[in-house]
Amino acid sequence: MTGGMRGLVDELRERLAIVREGGPERARKKHVDRGKMLVRDRIDALLDPGSPFLELSALAAYGMYGEDEADVNAVPSASIVTGVGRVSGRLCVIVANDATVKGGTYYPMTVKKHLRAQEVARANRLPCIYLVDSGGAFLPMQDEVFPDKEHFGRIFFNQANLSGDGIPQIAAVMGSCTAGGAYVPAMSDETVIVKEQGTIFLGGPPLVKAATGEVVTAEELGGGDVHARRSGVVDHLAEDDPHALAIVRSIVDTLPAPRATGAGHDVEEPIVDPAGLYDVVPTDTRTPYDVREVVRRIVDGSRLHEFKALYGETLVCGFARIWGHEVGIVANNGILFSESSLKGAHFVELCNQRRIPLVFLQNISGFMVGREYENGGIARDGAKLVTAVACSVVPKFTVVIGGSFGAGNYGMCGRAYDPRFLWMWPNARISVMGGEQAASVLATVRRDGIEARGGAWSADEEEDFKSPIREQYEHQGSPYYSTARLWDDGIIDPLDTRRVLGMGLDIAAHAPVPEPSYGIFRM
Amino acid sequence: MQTLLIANRGEIALRVIRTARELGIRTVAVFTDLDLHAPHVRAADEALPVSSYLDVDAVVDAARTAGADAVHPGYGFLSERAVFARALAEAGITLVGPSAEVMDAMGRKDAAREIAVAAGVPVVPSYSLDTPVTELAFPVLVKAAAGGGGKGMRVVRSADEYDEALAAARREAMSAFGDDTMLVEKYVERGRHIEVQVLADVHGNVVHLFERDCSSQRRHQKVLEEAPAPTISAAVRELVTGSAVALARQVGYTNAGTVEFLLDTATDEAYFLEMNTRLQVEHPVTELAVTVNGEHPDLVALQLAVADGESLPFRQDDVAIAGHAIEARVYAEDAFGGFLPQAGTARLVHWPAAARVDAALESGQVVSTAYDPMLGKVIAHGRDRESARRALVAALDDTAILGLTTNTGFLRVLADSAEFRDAQIDTAWLDRNQVQPPGDDIPRVAAAWVRAMLVSRDTGHPFCSDGFRLGAAAAPVRVELDRVVVVDRQRGRVDGVPVTELGSSDHSIALEVDDERVQAVVDVGAHAVEVVHQGQRHLFRRPDPFAGNGAAVGDGSLSAPMPGTVLSVSVAVGDAVEEGQTLGVLEAMKMELALKAPFTGVVAAIGAGVGDQVAMGAELFVVERSEDA
Repeated sequence: MTGGMRGLVDELRERLAIVREGGPERARKKHVDRGKMLVRDRIDALLDPGSPFLELSALAAYGMYGEDEADVNAVPSASIVTGVGRVSGRLCVIVANDATVKGGTYYPMTVKKHLRAQEVARANRLPCIYLVDSGGAFLPMQDEVFPDKEHFGRIFFNQANLSGDGIPQIAAVMGSCTAGGAYVPAMSDETVIVKEQGTIFLGGPPLVKAATGEVVTAEELGGGDVHARRSGVVDHLAEDDPHALAIVRSIVDTLPAPRATGAGHDVEEPIVDPAGLYDVVPTDTRTPYDVREVVRRIVDGSRLHEFKALYGETLVCGFARIWGHEVGIVANNGILFSESSLKGAHFVELCNQRRIPLVFLQNISGFMVGREYENGGIARDGAKLVTAVACSVVPKFTVVIGGSFGAGNYGMCGRAYDPRFLWMWPNARISVMGGEQAASVLATVRRDGIEARGGAWSADEEEDFKSPIREQYEHQGSPYYSTARLWDDGIIDPLDTRRVLGMGLDIAAHAPVPEPSYGIFRM
Repeated sequence: MQTLLIANRGEIALRVIRTARELGIRTVAVFTDLDLHAPHVRAADEALPVSSYLDVDAVVDAARTAGADAVHPGYGFLSERAVFARALAEAGITLVGPSAEVMDAMGRKDAAREIAVAAGVPVVPSYSLDTPVTELAFPVLVKAAAGGGGKGMRVVRSADEYDEALAAARREAMSAFGDDTMLVEKYVERGRHIEVQVLADVHGNVVHLFERDCSSQRRHQKVLEEAPAPTISAAVRELVTGSAVALARQVGYTNAGTVEFLLDTATDEAYFLEMNTRLQVEHPVTELAVTVNGEHPDLVALQLAVADGESLPFRQDDVAIAGHAIEARVYAEDAFGGFLPQAGTARLVHWPAAARVDAALESGQVVSTAYDPMLGKVIAHGRDRESARRALVAALDDTAILGLTTNTGFLRVLADSAEFRDAQIDTAWLDRNQVQPPGDDIPRVAAAWVRAMLVSRDTGHPFCSDGFRLGAAAAPVRVELDRVVVVDRQRGRVDGVPVTELGSSDHSIALEVDDERVQAVVDVGAHAVEVVHQGQRHLFRRPDPFAGNGAAVGDGSLSAPMPGTVLSVSVAVGDAVEEGQTLGVLEAMKMELALKAPFTGVVAAIGAGVGDQVAMGAELFVVERSEDA
């Protein structure tokens, strides 16, 4: 099925193209007719000419919040665009509401995406730029948006603490900024507002009228002129969107220079043509292949200084460079055994010792099971790998290039292990175990129960039982299911793997690496 | 002649040095402090400082010090100053030019006119100053006898303007020349400026090298010059050339000189205007359009030979017209902005390769307003006028001066115009007509394209400027010029218009924009992109987001910025005030604060009197915008 990957990539590009259009045409037209720029145009105008944009989770909320199953793009990109790009020569995290999508209101995934962007800023010490144009929380889902620890309030908690850590917080109010949203500009270090477009108030005119009877226009209540001249809520008054963005660029230009981030070495393109990635990787995660074929197409000069090549062969470890950055590669090449786990733990420790970032290429169906392995203490060795990964202080990057099942996900730096970025290939699958295994396990439990009660279970009945389980796992194991829920930072074209890893490494280099220390390794 | 001092600067100094060097003559330059590093100083074998190029004693001293046996004065400066000619003669140094006596005679318009009449040369009908106004046939020209360069000159079209114009011309003449003698003559409404190049040796030989037409003038400053004259008949040619030779003979002229005529296009009558007793700026068109025994003459070489006492090496019959030549004078002036003089550093200078260029401007040179604003001359030759004109247009397209604005684009538009093509431009045409400035759409495309090209050179790191987007085509480059221009080099589009790059090299770009071939010189700076296209300089400056900041002009009411005492009120209600004019002074916190009019208008209200204690925010003045402001 070598042609399969191309088909999957085409599907990805099509889906991305649709969500990148933003909200419905009517909403976009209304937005533009009011003299406002569309959200991605704003970002393009904010970025340096020619700057790349590493967009995060463009397919967030894909297949969610729709009226029916077919309504997969009800809230494109979760009504917020986030990512990392270059502004005035400096990498910044950009968080921009899309007012054409449900008025830019915050759905649960919108909140999660906003918080994730702030996490990227915190971990990598990148300034945050908020392009605000949002009606605030999506009220019908307030219980999933407002009260909890990782909900709306956390945005402002983060702003305060990021600012406290010396990470600049800059906001441009380019539309409404109501209620809780008003705190985004108010909590920022420096704030711009667009004249006769941006409004900031805790309670809008209807609420004011209801509360006090006062009749007031939005502009009088919290327009640009009011906040720039009277209230002092904002610092700069812009004529229009382009002017606001120019002012933001100028603000970034005044920030003190970041830590030196340059890669230590010249960049060498891979010698092996990366285009071959489409052909060397089977789209069926059950088909084995040599992961070195992938590594060669990602690393500088296609060179991998392999560590313990002859030991624990199901985990390929080695040193390489990506865009001139030293990296330690940890790549699955089969199931994890004790030896491969020990090798991995050793290698991860080595990279931490040398402050070399880690790149995990995840294609793992799990740790080996069975009496021999359990009795041999595979859980103990697996725990060593998990401990080493969990306690790593160097930047970690994970690319799910195939399956991500069970505890293999943990040992290979799944989302819970705080990789700086986690990307999925379109062929990736993610679940606690395979659909077939899950169906079999559940069917076995059920059969045992039925048979214990003296009943009988026909093969057809068993199949009827297993089929929806398989379907559920099939549905939930999809990378689109994952990316919609922010389990990752996005699905990428395999050919972009080297590029996004390079960008991630550049980004991560902005933050210093602390001293490593580990939990107890079970010996 | 062994050592020649060139009492000049700029292109003419280089021009003279070039010929002198070819003839094996040692060259000495003079220079002022401003010109310490000027090209002519470097080009000469030796250079001596002078306080000023107009300082006769200093220049003569320099010639003496350098052991020069001759001095070439070039044009301008001391070239037509008899006092200089005399000082050199007294020092025993040869002046490459006519005698002091000839300069004296021809330098005064009244004297020159008398000599012309004596030589049988037609002169403009003139009036005695005593002629009653009622007997004047208007329009008439009132001009200073000692004048030149348009100073002390007035065109008078009706009797009631006459007295005032005469008085004004006198005042101007007095201040410019120290002499307010006036001439009154017929004014030719539609005239062509025809001038004849003459050469005379000390042995009595006088020849002409045919005529030039310098009718393309702006306020008497020549812009385009050509040889031969495109509109004159054989009879007129015979008249002017014959007259010029007769005049030179009459006055005992030696060396190169130019006899100027005014051709009345209405009547085809030619009148003697004046004689220039020096080499002309536009002499190259004669060198290119004329042959002597089949060779193009070198007028400077002939000047030096004559100055050395040699006989002219040819006779009139050996001189022939060979094709056509047109010269364009490149000035440091903003031709489309009121012809204001320009100064600055010529950061990048590119002269055309396919034309003769007499220039002393090179990249990095500072152009000041201290000297003549002419930066150089571009001279094209062709077998006929049209091919010369096309060659000139092409040469001006290939001329680029960045760093300061020049009139090259104006020259290009003019040379390319139907009026110039059809030789319809008389001496007052440019004063009657507006030349349309070239548009900036194409230059903006070139600017944006080059900017995007430079952006794309940022490679070799993951955040390099290739517009990378995840799972999508690369974003085009948004180039911020005076406005945002979107450049997609991959797809060959600039703001949607198809663009193909044909080639680029060191600041130069060749594009095909919507099927039109475009050549431009582009210099990209941090905040501005400079483009020269078809000779015209365009500057695309990125708007400063903070430029419009500061206190926006509000409703014209001035209130007390803090509590204080009114010290003075200097206006009354109804007074007209200028923007920035102080209306009153408030003393507060030991400071005196002047309250100034926010714009030009009328004082509509005054809120406090002198000595009043006012609260913060108290309205002190209200200014209403004037209707006509």
